Amino acid sequence: MTQGHAWRVLLGSAGALGLMAGAALAQDCPIKIGALAPLSAPGTVVGGEAMRDAMMIAEADINAAGGVLGCDIEVVIGDSEGLPERAVAVMERLITQDGVVAVGGGYHSSVGVASKDVADARGIPVVFAETWNDTITGDKQKYIFRIAPLSSWASATIWQFALTLPGIEKVAILTENTDYGIPASEETARGLATGDVESVIFSVDIGTQDYAGIVQRIIAEDPDMIITLVTGEAAYNFTQQAADAGIGPLDIPFVTGQDALESGAYWTNVPDGQYAFVQRIGVPESEFTDKGRAFAAAYKEMTGKSDVESYAMEAYDSIAILVQAIAEAGSTDGDAIVAALENIEHEGTLGTIYFPYGSAKDPSEDGRGDEWWHQWPDPALTMIQYQEEGQSSTDAAIVFPDAYKTAEPVLVNE
Amino acid sequence: METPIYFWGVILWMIAWGVLGSVALNRRYMARDLDTSNVSFAGAMSGAALGPVGVGYLWLRTPALTPRLTTVLGILAVVLIAAAFAFADPQNNCVANGRFVASQISNGLIIGIIYGFMALGLTLIFSILGVVSFAHGEFYMIGGMLVYYITVIWVPGLNPMLGVLGACAIAFVVGAVFERLMLTPMYRGKVDRPVEYGILATFGLAFTLQYFVQAMHGASPVKVQRYVDFPRIRWPENADPHWISASRGNLTLFDTISISNPRFTAAITCIVVLLALLYLLHRTWTGKALRAVSQDRDAAAIAGIDPNRMNMLAFALGGMIAALAGALLVQAFSWLPQVGAIPAMRSFVIVVLGGLGSLPGAFVGGILVGLVEAAGTGCLPDAQKAASYIPAYGMIVLTLTLLLRPSGLCGRRFASGAHGQGG
Repeated sequence: MTQGHAWRVLLGSAGALGLMAGAALAQDCPIKIGALAPLSAPGTVVGGEAMRDAMMIAEADINAAGGVLGCDIEVVIGDSEGLPERAVAVMERLITQDGVVAVGGGYHSSVGVASKDVADARGIPVVFAETWNDTITGDKQKYIFRIAPLSSWASATIWQFALTLPGIEKVAILTENTDYGIPASEETARGLATGDVESVIFSVDIGTQDYAGIVQRIIAEDPDMIITLVTGEAAYNFTQQAADAGIGPLDIPFVTGQDALESGAYWTNVPDGQYAFVQRIGVPESEFTDKGRAFAAAYKEMTGKSDVESYAMEAYDSIAILVQAIAEAGSTDGDAIVAALENIEHEGTLGTIYFPYGSAKDPSEDGRGDEWWHQWPDPALTMIQYQEEGQSSTDAAIVFPDAYKTAEPVLVNE
Repeated sequence: METPIYFWGVILWMIAWGVLGSVALNRRYMARDLDTSNVSFAGAMSGAALGPVGVGYLWLRTPALTPRLTTVLGILAVVLIAAAFAFADPQNNCVANGRFVASQISNGLIIGIIYGFMALGLTLIFSILGVVSFAHGEFYMIGGMLVYYITVIWVPGLNPMLGVLGACAIAFVVGAVFERLMLTPMYRGKVDRPVEYGILATFGLAFTLQYFVQAMHGASPVKVQRYVDFPRIRWPENADPHWISASRGNLTLFDTISISNPRFTAAITCIVVLLALLYLLHRTWTGKALRAVSQDRDAAAIAGIDPNRMNMLAFALGGMIAALAGALLVQAFSWLPQVGAIPAMRSFVIVVLGGLGSLPGAFVGGILVGLVEAAGTGCLPDAQKAASYIPAYGMIVLTLTLLLRPSGLCGRRFASGAHGQGG
């Protein structure tokens, strides 16, 4: 090595170190990333706690790997309580007081619909994890992204599954009065109608406990199947009360709420919940990516649960993808993060996450609707069935669609 | 609804004559210097039920407006509404399906008994201390949580009835200690605004209990398995249908009315405890002392009753009643630290509806709200909206009652204005 070359290497190294130090010095360390989760009623606390735990694991994993831009990250979790007005206040606080540079998480659609405008107006990128309402991306806002499925896709999975079952002529749909429940129930009813299946919709306030009157009304409708589009313990209450009245999962085909994926809480609260169908986002655990398997192991160890819920995986990915975008942007500037997100390929727990439509390519160019804007197009949607009492959701049979099917559905009414 | 014009036509007719009857008869009774305490309600009901005939009769005769007369007029008005509804919507389940109607009535009655029982605790506290306890929902919550912890976590396998008793005992102690520590300044002249102080202190207790439980337990919903299994019964054995048939988790009457085990046991227990409470209040020295304090604190003190001790007993008993309601319902509903919010709001509605400080009023109000909620949920033609309006049904009844009878169904005009002071 010549003396001149040695100097160049030394100067180059010093320059690189200086740039890295400069980047770190330019940042307020740790870099704060906001997160929304319902940790109090009337929000779905079961889901919120799972998301919180997952995002804490994401923070630990990222910091153990060296953080980003020379800084550790700090995930600042705001309790949305599942309420839109609360979500707006929490988003304001995260941005203006806590100084977050981006926001992940989010469970209830109404929370996403209300809080996205605040983030977009303030130029803070958001990757929503579990908010399904189509308008969240359909408004084509610059700073808003989503890795959860669209409500219309999720509804389609349920009604398409219902149409595969024999003898279904009338379906009772119980939905919550929220930005998730109302459009989801209407889309489900429209989908069922394409197969000449009649449906009747009952809507309730989020957090309703007593379903005795509604259950009697559903009995009077004499449905062949019941679909529950209610989140949290409200779905537990309805499913068990329906079972008490003889129209539960042991009696007719019954799709219960997605929080049944937390099987420990489900079996505690719905002891008569065998044969219930549940919608699940993401592939079965046997097909998890390496990252998915590592997360599942860490999550089970941290929480003591026997299975990992899809919304926990989404929450983890929402933080991890933001950190990758910050790293690729080399900055915590909102516009730079958005530019990085629009071009990202993130190997997440749910698979390879990317956003094919955005400022570079409008969804209309491919004949897609506006809701495809900043939307991950590939989340896997399946229907599982608890075919054994006390079963974990990981072990439950996948009964729809055929691509993932591990068993035929057990039809209790046959 | 097939012909809504008939239904809404009748409702408009009833409202018009009800308003006219209420206003006109108020003036008439006042002009004649008669008792007007009941005239708004009676005038409105006579106008709504009988139109010009009812209003004209009362105008001319101005009879004494006894509770019996006003009750009969009220029932007539309800019957008229039901008849108009049946005529306008003959295919409605509430008209055409007897089994459905019987089930809704039984559901409304059972949940109404539980509502009324819970509100009883709130009204007991108000009638003695003059304080509206904003921690009532949290006592309800800890009742259920304590049963879960006692029978599932701390002593697995313990008889659930012992768990219920344990929960009641702990709630009683929490109520008594809180009253001694936090509410005594209110009636010892140490605070300028005792009413506001009482509200804030109970608010503080509510937050403390809720967030303490959330910090200790987390927010995952829990539930307790049903306390007792029904024996398998088919009675009479050879009848068709059986009058009574029971499986472990369900009771069916005449093959028509189905009642789940947890609700049935909760309602029956509430009735038994209510009878015990009535015995306590009317047949024991302590109960008579409580009633005496609620009627006149100074006179009670002169008679040798310690009103402060009664304050403590009332608050502890009121909290224990709410806790018992929770302890009985944790086998029916999923339980969270925030589970008390809606029942507490409903209890406030029932207490005002029944009449502040009135124990019978609270119980009657509870049953009324239960029945109205069941009727609304079952009969509203739009299935999508029927259940959404559950919280509104009670508020409609409350609003009408306050308009027509501001003291509530069974309220006293001056229910404990002393706010625990005296003695």
